[in-house]
Amino acid sequence: MIQGNMNDDAIPGLPEEDSPLWTRVLKHSAILFSLLGVWEFLTAFGYADPLLFPRPSAIFSSFVPLYVTRGIVWEHLWVTMSTVLAGFVVGTLLGIFLAVLAGLSETIHRYMKPYVIILEATPRIAIGPLMLAWLGFGFGAKLAIVTLVCFFAPFINTLTAILSANPAQVELMRSLGASKWQTLTKTIVPDAMPMIMAGIRMAMASALGGALVAEFISSNTGMAVLLKNLAAMLNMSSAFATLLSLTVIGYILYAMMEGIERRVIFWQNDAGLRRVSAQRKLHWEARA
Amino acid sequence: MNGEVTTSKRGSGLATQLTDLVFLRRIFTHFGIFSAFIGVWEWAGRTGRLNDLIMPAPSAIAEALWRLYVVTGQIYWHFFVTFFEAVVGFFFGGAIGMGLAIAAALSLTFRRYIAPYAVALNVTPGIAVTPIFIAWFGFGWSSKIALAALIVFFPIFVNTLSGLLRTDRDTAELFRSLGASKARTFFKLMIPNAAPMIFAGLKIAMTSALVGAIVAEFASATEGIGILMQRFSHRLDIASSIAVLLSMALMGLFLFIIMEKADRQVVFWKHQDRLDAVSRNRRRRWSGTAAKELART
Repeated sequence: MIQGNMNDDAIPGLPEEDSPLWTRVLKHSAILFSLLGVWEFLTAFGYADPLLFPRPSAIFSSFVPLYVTRGIVWEHLWVTMSTVLAGFVVGTLLGIFLAVLAGLSETIHRYMKPYVIILEATPRIAIGPLMLAWLGFGFGAKLAIVTLVCFFAPFINTLTAILSANPAQVELMRSLGASKWQTLTKTIVPDAMPMIMAGIRMAMASALGGALVAEFISSNTGMAVLLKNLAAMLNMSSAFATLLSLTVIGYILYAMMEGIERRVIFWQNDAGLRRVSAQRKLHWEARA
Repeated sequence: MNGEVTTSKRGSGLATQLTDLVFLRRIFTHFGIFSAFIGVWEWAGRTGRLNDLIMPAPSAIAEALWRLYVVTGQIYWHFFVTFFEAVVGFFFGGAIGMGLAIAAALSLTFRRYIAPYAVALNVTPGIAVTPIFIAWFGFGWSSKIALAALIVFFPIFVNTLSGLLRTDRDTAELFRSLGASKARTFFKLMIPNAAPMIFAGLKIAMTSALVGAIVAEFASATEGIGILMQRFSHRLDIASSIAVLLSMALMGLFLFIIMEKADRQVVFWKHQDRLDAVSRNRRRRWSGTAAKELART
């Protein structure tokens, strides 16, 4: 039942379009702007309550006080991002480290399994209030929640990948006289890398959510607090602007992970493979 | 298939497992580890090595469970509220996700123009929408249902879409050349072909629906298991709080098992024992009708 998950969160089945870029951009923005236009007019003519569904123009104009004139967003943004990144790094490293330990010993794995299954079924974020009681209202509780949220996907994916290592390859390494360490670093880990990276990507995706939940329940700074206060004051246009900022942050984190994945598992895309082969060729020629 | 393998598989029920020494030893070790862990914890609690406010002893947690479930019985209502919110949200979000995924699978144009919005939805942490949903739908159940629906939407959408897109071209061609209508091809080929992936998405989504409902309760609620836990931990009644957390784990496990069972029912051809059972049934049914027709003629 412990099973890794590749969870490809890109939209499948989108072939390359041969029409030039500008026509595509034009079509997409035509659709976007007509949707926004409909919304604008619905609110402007009173079909939707402007208090709850602010006009798109109001949302975009409220970016200005948030970011420029009053600049209230920066402090919250900084707090949230530091929680996200710290928790992500700690949780992912911990998950991978423990998974490697568990993956190398059959016994540890067997006796750990029931607890992992139970922990997997528990809504991890739900432990938030408990963390708050344990660690107080500071950075510690938030870090612990994000760490916990980030821990599982890398842990389970690494474990699955290591357990499904190709026995023939391991046997080959053994018969070539490789040490255990060499077998681990030269075959098992590279073989497991796509799965591990998928886990890390999932962890990154959940880190932002985890940090926001932690802020909802325990904090007085951070993007979630800002959003909550704005929505509570029924300043919906600014609330939407904050939400859109979170979308952008989420996209940046996602794109960052894609980039890292592309570099780490370079052998899975043509460009990366060509680049690394060229580098290695240069390196070997220089040595020769 | 090979009858021997299946019968021996069916034979290996609990009775044979209980006489299996290796199996018994493993169960025993599992139990030993678990009780040693609990024992050390209890000992540390009793001898005052643990702060009661931070980590109550197992006996205190058991007492809290007893109080919650038997003495006051207050947990059942909260349990039901959260369960209801998660399941209803799951159905709403799942229906919308599957509907849009079917439309996107059938039309390349629609897929192309919906893709940016789906990506934007995916990268936005759904939880962040909670305050806005509370402003829209109020403090009651509906805001939690909406959040659960929002969170389950994406995994179901993506899995349904990629399942439907994986339809084998040759089989589709065969359907066409046998004169199957488009609807027929859809229901008899595309849907069954996509079912394993759809169910994988549904399984992920079910647990996240629970998370959505609980988090929305943290933000603002008067009833539900999330708010119950938050109240206990604000009161520093950590034992009860951990008891509620254990109940949440139980609910998560329960929902997961339901989905697993549904998966085994619907996608029976992916599980060997279910496949055998279904083929046995069908064989019986078909041979029954065949015998009846023979008798009639």
